Amino acid sequence: MPFDLTVLTPHLDTLLAGALLTAEVCALGIVGAFTLATALGLLAVGRGWAGRLARLYVDVFRNVPFVVQVFFLFYGLPEVGVYIDAFWTGVLALGLVGGAYGSDVVRSGILAIEPGVVEAAKVSGLSRLAIIRRVVLPIALRTAIRPLGSVFVNLVLSSSILSMITLDEVTGTARGVASETYRPFEVYAFLLAAYAGLTYAVSLGIDALHRRLNRHMAENGAAPGATHGVMGRTA
Amino acid sequence: MMAVEGVVKRFGAHTVLDGVSLTVAPGEVVTILGSSGSGKSTLIRCINGLEALDGGRITVDGLDVSDPRQLARARRLSATVFQMFNLYPHMTVLRNITLAPELVLRRPRDEVEAQAHALLASVGLAGKADSYPGQLSGGQRQRVGICRALAMNPRYLLLDEVTSALDPEMTAEVLAILGKLAARQSGGGGTTMLFVTHEVEFARRISTRIVFLDQGRLIVDLPTDQFFAADGGLAHPRIRQFLSKMAPAAPLAEIPA
Ligand SMILES: Nc1ncnc2c1ncn2[C@@H]1O[C@H](COP(=O)(O)OP(=O)(O)O)[C@@H](O)[C@H]1O
Ligand SMILES: [Mg+2]
Repeated sequence: MPFDLTVLTPHLDTLLAGALLTAEVCALGIVGAFTLATALGLLAVGRGWAGRLARLYVDVFRNVPFVVQVFFLFYGLPEVGVYIDAFWTGVLALGLVGGAYGSDVVRSGILAIEPGVVEAAKVSGLSRLAIIRRVVLPIALRTAIRPLGSVFVNLVLSSSILSMITLDEVTGTARGVASETYRPFEVYAFLLAAYAGLTYAVSLGIDALHRRLNRHMAENGAAPGATHGVMGRTA
Repeated sequence: MMAVEGVVKRFGAHTVLDGVSLTVAPGEVVTILGSSGSGKSTLIRCINGLEALDGGRITVDGLDVSDPRQLARARRLSATVFQMFNLYPHMTVLRNITLAPELVLRRPRDEVEAQAHALLASVGLAGKADSYPGQLSGGQRQRVGICRALAMNPRYLLLDEVTSALDPEMTAEVLAILGKLAARQSGGGGTTMLFVTHEVEFARRISTRIVFLDQGRLIVDLPTDQFFAADGGLAHPRIRQFLSKMAPAAPLAEIPA
């Protein structure tokens, strides 16, 4: 059989709906993951019980297979009276696991901040919240945003597992169409393209954020390091 | 008035400040001298609340810096200039200067920006408001650091070796600015300074008083001219030794052997 994409035409609506659902669940999951990663990253820097708890969370979620977390949320929780539909289970699962991986990235970004910069903010009288929002996070995220991007791309890939909890996302939909049409080649080619497109969109977003967070470094093509070099005398 | 009363600070078993007492009254420019490791930075960091005290008390206009609420108020009265500048790398020069006046003092943005531009012009950086710290030389960065501190209209200015990371030319730029600031003091109502430096000659020119820290103890606290008098500060062997190391060439001639 020759490669013939027109065989998909009758199923295009279904496939696109699946892709859209994947995009939605991933977008919400990424927002959740980013929020959780930031909060956990901030907490994990601390030395108190909150820091220990945050680090424990990260260890737990990174050491359990994603599919097991999904099953637990979708099939396990109803046993104790907590019902969440497939879509929001997907969002929740992606947010929880992405938050765990992302928090490590945020945490190392925070630890890499020059302590003196934060001290300057403290002695100027800024509140803790203002220091976090105006100084710590913008500086930490400018280095953390790229590795966070990898975490988010991985979330898009992991979202294919959500077909196992009856969510009509793109992988599950494609499998259905493939078995119906007996044209797995075309169907999975579409699936490949769909994931490539979604992850590319994530990368583009991350690139834009990265540029924005690092605008002070790119101008005139001179990074601060380069200025050091030219002047050759600052410590 | 900044009052340091019998302050003790330890790092582990190491006592870095050992019962230090010092007062800085409004209008004074007090220089802290002392060899490296004597505890000068630690003393400054205790005053601005970056280190917790192990003993004694520090007040800024009566506000006890060991109490978080009072520290927050004390921090509005003083500003610090750092050895390594510590500018916010992700903010423009202008934002570096306006951030705290706007957020902490809640002053209107236009007013703070106008003041920031005036301050930048006064230190020769009129064109740099929209640059980022990474695009500036060390001397320029430190001048921004001074503007950032002054924009808080502080009653007290703490300066910790603010020229130590700079080459001689840039040091001269920055000292010229500080000299002008100190000169304003005689008129009163300006910024009171507590100044850690190794620029002995400069300290001699601008200070009203000089104190000497030696291994965490404040061994001498004298008006500037008495500090450099043979029967004053120079009577201490530790100080003589320090000055002969610090100030080569010219000043040595004035120090009796
Ligand atoms: N955070 C710290 N932890 C442990 N020791 C410290 C710390 N900060 C300073 N010290 C020690 O305290 C002593 C005084 O340091 P410092 O105040 O920086 O001296 P100075 O500024 O006079 O050179 C030094 O021996 C230094 O090693
Ligand atoms: Mg020091």
